[in-house]
Amino acid sequence: MSFALKQQPSELSFEEVAAKYPQFPRLVMLKTDIQRRGVYYTDRALSVADPAIHQLAGTHIFGTRDGILTHRPEAFILRDGTSVLTSPTPLEENPYIVDLCDGRLVLLDKGQEIEEIEYWTKPDYYNLTTSTGVPMSHVASARPQRIYIMPSRYCHFWSDNQGCLFCDIVNNLKQQKSELDLPPKLKPRDVAETIKEALKEPGRFTAICLTSGSDFHGGVPFDTEVDYYIEILQAVGENFKTAKFPSQLISTAFTEKQLARIYEQTGILSYTPDIEVLNEKLFAWICPGKARWVGYREWKQRLIRAVDIFDRGYVNTCIVAGVELAKPHGFTDEDEALKAVLEEAEDLASHGVSTVYTVWVPRPGSYLRGQKNASLDYYVRLAAGLHELRKKYNLPIDHDDYRRCGNHPDSDLGRLL
Amino acid sequence: MAVDITEKLAALLGKADTVKILVTTDEEGAPHAVVKDSLRLDEQHRLIYLELLESSRTNKNMVRSIWFNRAVAVAVAGANGESYQIKGKPVKAIVSGPLFRKYYQQIREQCDDADLAAVWVIEPENIIDQSFPVRRRQEEASHPYFKHLDRLAK
Repeated sequence: MSFALKQQPSELSFEEVAAKYPQFPRLVMLKTDIQRRGVYYTDRALSVADPAIHQLAGTHIFGTRDGILTHRPEAFILRDGTSVLTSPTPLEENPYIVDLCDGRLVLLDKGQEIEEIEYWTKPDYYNLTTSTGVPMSHVASARPQRIYIMPSRYCHFWSDNQGCLFCDIVNNLKQQKSELDLPPKLKPRDVAETIKEALKEPGRFTAICLTSGSDFHGGVPFDTEVDYYIEILQAVGENFKTAKFPSQLISTAFTEKQLARIYEQTGILSYTPDIEVLNEKLFAWICPGKARWVGYREWKQRLIRAVDIFDRGYVNTCIVAGVELAKPHGFTDEDEALKAVLEEAEDLASHGVSTVYTVWVPRPGSYLRGQKNASLDYYVRLAAGLHELRKKYNLPIDHDDYRRCGNHPDSDLGRLL
Repeated sequence: MAVDITEKLAALLGKADTVKILVTTDEEGAPHAVVKDSLRLDEQHRLIYLELLESSRTNKNMVRSIWFNRAVAVAVAGANGESYQIKGKPVKAIVSGPLFRKYYQQIREQCDDADLAAVWVIEPENIIDQSFPVRRRQEEASHPYFKHLDRLAK
């Protein structure tokens, strides 16, 4: 193959990082690097992405690096069961290549075959529509073992021009509405019907995850968001014979009273209010809406107080790793950034709150578009550091691991715990 | 390097009364041996084993093996004294998709309470016939001193 690949001469190559950290699993490192650099699907690779069999992109909450939504695989799986959510990326940005060689789907870098991969399989319910005529694939998206519901795709921070700077949720929503006719807000009945059908597929799912954009409306800020989650979760719960079911709520940081209401009135079992960046000053810059309506210190306190409701390890928070290095206000040195992030993560871990990360993808629909994420070396050290904190403080991460989520290199390491 | 499983060994693996033991190692290299009735061959004559418990020591050791290229061993013992050791490496953990579903349904039909965590695929790299007559002939041929003299006395 003869793709023109732009080199990043100042950074260690994948092989150099792999040699530097032999105790770090190569397949997890590869996933991290794929997410860091992105992927490009060749026409040959796309020719075997069968809409009848495979899960094609379209319903994801965030956009892609190349701005195209549809007709490509949403993700793939490595031979160890590791999921890799992908963001299709223009060739000039030096992505990994997914190609078809001798009938096999393979991952290439610099023309060399790295690994054989498989596209995610489409769940049965993707072929169905709800009684109101909504395609069920638009109600809940699927990962290999998780049902992912996005009840509302609108984030109200954007209405005040205070969306998180790395995020493209509303811009992506606009594109999804025009190109895919995705409903911006789900009806509980559609959700209940979709979950009912999804659960008919044997062995397909192990968890349900909900996430939405923030909504600060209500008597107490975010009451409207809380009420809506309760409605949706109750609709989900209609399908289970147990009061509680493996589930995760990724949302705004709520007050204890709001959280207690959600916990008592629904089957939810874990809680993940994403703090996005573990630094007070950068939080104020990068997450202006969250800073205005909750604040960094209060966000942390709400995380810690949530442990009383959900228990140790079943409250965690996600950071957009690498955004702490964003220009012009971020750290300029990776070592300093890593030290600061892990210190804050340890403070949370000591109170029973786990931290996971996703690799920052500077999407074109976000304010921080065009910037560069961190080095692979940084991401490997961060994953190992967060994993070690979970070991040190004996924090389970079952609800957000390689299988229940699949988008956090650090919690993939939990397979060894 | 993968090796072929003979038809004789394949037949032995398929018998209901054959004992199959999977040996993995932990982080410190300590062995962990468990009977795995679910061990079988797939169409490509690779070993398949069904892990029912996601948090089991064996499952964690298998993850460690596929991540760090570490070998596992399978001991196979037949009712008539046949004995083999198969050494190999895990090459795939299937956690979703059509094959996973097929085995999940099989497991669920066998036991109403069972779940399936992963379908592990082990590629055999070395097969040793461990049956006593075979091993004794090998030792006598390669180590003529390894015997008591009274066995040779008139």
